[in-house]
Amino acid sequence: MDTRIVESAVRPRSGRTQATRAIWAFLVAAVALGLAYGLSRGLRRAAARTSHQQETPEDWFEVRVPASPALAAQGRAVYLNSCAHCHAADATGDEGPDLHGLEVSDRYLARVVTRGIKGEMPSFRKKLGEDEIRRLTAYLRSID
Amino acid sequence: MSQEIWAKLHGATVHFPIALVLCSGALDTSGRLFPGPANRWGLHAAGYWTMLLGAAGTVPAVVSGLVLSRGVLLGHDTLRQHHLYAWPAFALIAGLAAWRVLGNGASARRAPAGYLAFVALASVLVAISGYWGGELTLGH
Repeated sequence: MDTRIVESAVRPRSGRTQATRAIWAFLVAAVALGLAYGLSRGLRRAAARTSHQQETPEDWFEVRVPASPALAAQGRAVYLNSCAHCHAADATGDEGPDLHGLEVSDRYLARVVTRGIKGEMPSFRKKLGEDEIRRLTAYLRSID
Repeated sequence: MSQEIWAKLHGATVHFPIALVLCSGALDTSGRLFPGPANRWGLHAAGYWTMLLGAAGTVPAVVSGLVLSRGVLLGHDTLRQHHLYAWPAFALIAGLAAWRVLGNGASARRAPAGYLAFVALASVLVAISGYWGGELTLGH
C-alpha cells in the first residue's frame, strides 16, 4: 500500500484529548441529524402545499353526493380521530398533504382511505367502515 | 422529478454506505487481530478511509430517502421501522467518521475496542434498517 495513504491516516494531530474528540464527534452527529431534520421540514412544507392526488378520469363521470352540514360534522369527528394526526387538525397538511380542494372522486378517496398509499399512508380498512368513509368524504368536501 | 426516480436513486445510493461501513468494521477488526505494524497500519488506514467514504455516502442516501418520503422523518408501519433504525445509524456513522478524522496519530493507527463496539452497533442498525427498507420495496 502507498505509504502516503497510510501516513495521511495516521498523521499525528495537535493534542486533542479523547474527551474533546468524543464531544466533537457527538456534535457532528447532532449537526448531521439537524441538517436532515431541516431538509425534512422543507420537504414536508412543500408536500403540504401541493397535494399529490390528481384528478382521475372516473371523476369526470361520477356525480358527487352533496354533503349536508350534519354529515360533514360527523365526518369531522372521524377526521379528528383518524386523519388529523398526519394531515393536521385543520387539514392543511403536516406529515401528510393538504386536503383542501381535492380534485378526486368519492370513489378514489374511499380507495385511498381503505387501501392506503404504499410507503406513505397506512390502510384504514380495519378502522373505518363504509359509513364512516362517507361521513369523512362529506367533511373533506365541506372544506373545499 | 417523479417519486419513482427518487426510489431508484435511493436504492442506488444506499448500498454504498452499508457496504463501506461494514467493510470498515471488518478491516479495523482485522487490524487488531493480525500482528505486525505494516499489516496493522495498512488495515487501519483502509478502515479509516472506508469509514470516511461510508459517512460521505450517507449524504446522498439520506437526501434521496427524504425526498422520496416527501420529508417524512418517521412515518407509519414499515416506513417507521425503517426510519427508527436508519436515523440512529446515520448519526452514529457521522459521529464515528468525525471521531476518526479528529484522532491524533497514536489513536488513528489503531481502532480501540470501544470504537469497534460502536461500529458494530452502527452495522447492526444499518442491517436492521436495510431489512425494513427491503420490506418497503419488496414486501408488498
